[in-house]
Amino acid sequence: MGEVVAVIKIMPNGVDVDLEKLKENLAAVVPAGIELNGIAEEPIAFGLVALMATVVVGDVEGGTDSVENAFAEVPDVESVQVAEIGRLL
Amino acid sequence: MAAEKPHMNLAVIGHIDHGKSTLVGRLLYETGTIPAHVIEKYKVEAEEKGKGSFAFAWVMDSLKEERERGITIDIAHKRFDTDKYYYTIVDCPGHRDFVKNMITGASQADAAILTVDAKDGVMEQTKEHVFLATTLGINQLIIAVNKMDSVDYSEERFNEVKEDVSTLLKMVGYKPDGINFIPTSALFGANISESSKDTPWYKGPTILEGLDQFTAPEKPTGLPLRIPVQDAYTISGIGTVPVGRVETGTMKPGDKVTFMPSGVSGEVKSIEMHHEEIPEAVPGDNIGFNVRGVGKKDVRRGDVTGPASDPPTVADEFTAQIVVLQHPSAITAGYTPVFHCHTAQTACTFLSIDKKLDPRTGQVSEENPTFIKAGDAAIVTIKPTRPMVIEPYKDIPQLGRFAIRDMGTTIATGMCISVKKR
Repeated sequence: MGEVVAVIKIMPNGVDVDLEKLKENLAAVVPAGIELNGIAEEPIAFGLVALMATVVVGDVEGGTDSVENAFAEVPDVESVQVAEIGRLL
Repeated sequence: MAAEKPHMNLAVIGHIDHGKSTLVGRLLYETGTIPAHVIEKYKVEAEEKGKGSFAFAWVMDSLKEERERGITIDIAHKRFDTDKYYYTIVDCPGHRDFVKNMITGASQADAAILTVDAKDGVMEQTKEHVFLATTLGINQLIIAVNKMDSVDYSEERFNEVKEDVSTLLKMVGYKPDGINFIPTSALFGANISESSKDTPWYKGPTILEGLDQFTAPEKPTGLPLRIPVQDAYTISGIGTVPVGRVETGTMKPGDKVTFMPSGVSGEVKSIEMHHEEIPEAVPGDNIGFNVRGVGKKDVRRGDVTGPASDPPTVADEFTAQIVVLQHPSAITAGYTPVFHCHTAQTACTFLSIDKKLDPRTGQVSEENPTFIKAGDAAIVTIKPTRPMVIEPYKDIPQLGRFAIRDMGTTIATGMCISVKKR
């Protein structure tokens, strides 16, 4: 019961990464059963921009693991971290 | 609008079917957070369909439908105001596999409402979430003994549940006497914003009044600087740039900092947040900073930045209090799962299981047990397989909590009690 929305912060591996391409690549690997609800850009520092992907997953075993692992395998991704989490109203 | 009120992050915790979402919805509804025109629209619809008396349930259902149509997915919008504060509310996931996210994640709760079903009483996730609340350092709590309508608003049943929850709270170090236990029905709005006629025996505050009794959190600027490194970059024309969130303390350009366990030191040249240079970084800031005298290879994810004069603590061994959430068999000395602590993920070995704690009283029930299993709380001695930073929870709580993971599941959470320095 219940669905969980997570904001996942994806750091690219440098300042020269094509963020539009990276967004496409991330969107392409979202596992079945998990809904991607947009990827926003968040400026960090010195030209580095984090991508903040909002996903909706079930409140069930495994949690955000499958989507975190899938994102981590995408080229040009330095790190993946769940920044926010909460159940949908 | 008047001057900005102090802000609080509020977590709603509790067993999965104990009414967390309904309570969140009710709080938003009664504080006028759901726009009036939306409520009016749904009220009219509800009346047309002969469901007028259940207007609230109807609003909840309608919001759910709206979100299924993809309209309102935004966790940042769960905000409401009390007289004293404005709250951002997080409805915590029930499944234990999300515990890791809550321990290492960005949004820290300042206070929590624990919902307990008046009929069911204390359940498995009630316990897990109480442990989680302690681990997260949430020291302000309200207990909503919810679904009071299902037990005819019985004072006797309320007191039984209160007693059981109090026992559980005492075990993890809370003082139940200072905590508001409130009989509620989130569905019918009992004791949420107005005292309910159905509980004439209850003289305490409503949920909203209880929320106003909390005290505003202070940023931990008085503690030593600690910034767990999320990633480190080399940026041409700039140099080495570690990126992370300030957990405690403050940092200014010119400060001498040390990265541990790497052990390298340098001088902070400049700090940026949202691509803008800032004169000082404080707890909660997501920053990148440029350090003179440090190469990219010297700093890595999982390192912690601290003042050169008071560097982060690297543990050879540490003792911790843990709670086992799930494990297929038993945990014994020698077990080596992965500890997720701040941004570090480090395999650590259980050197010894020192004490098993009685879940009912919190007292030591067994010295040097040969094993512990799901549901047990214990004091253990841990040895990281490679150097890692961890701080005693009582000194720097933000760097003293961890989740233990193995085979893709979260098996335990814990807090560091003491560190034997390397």
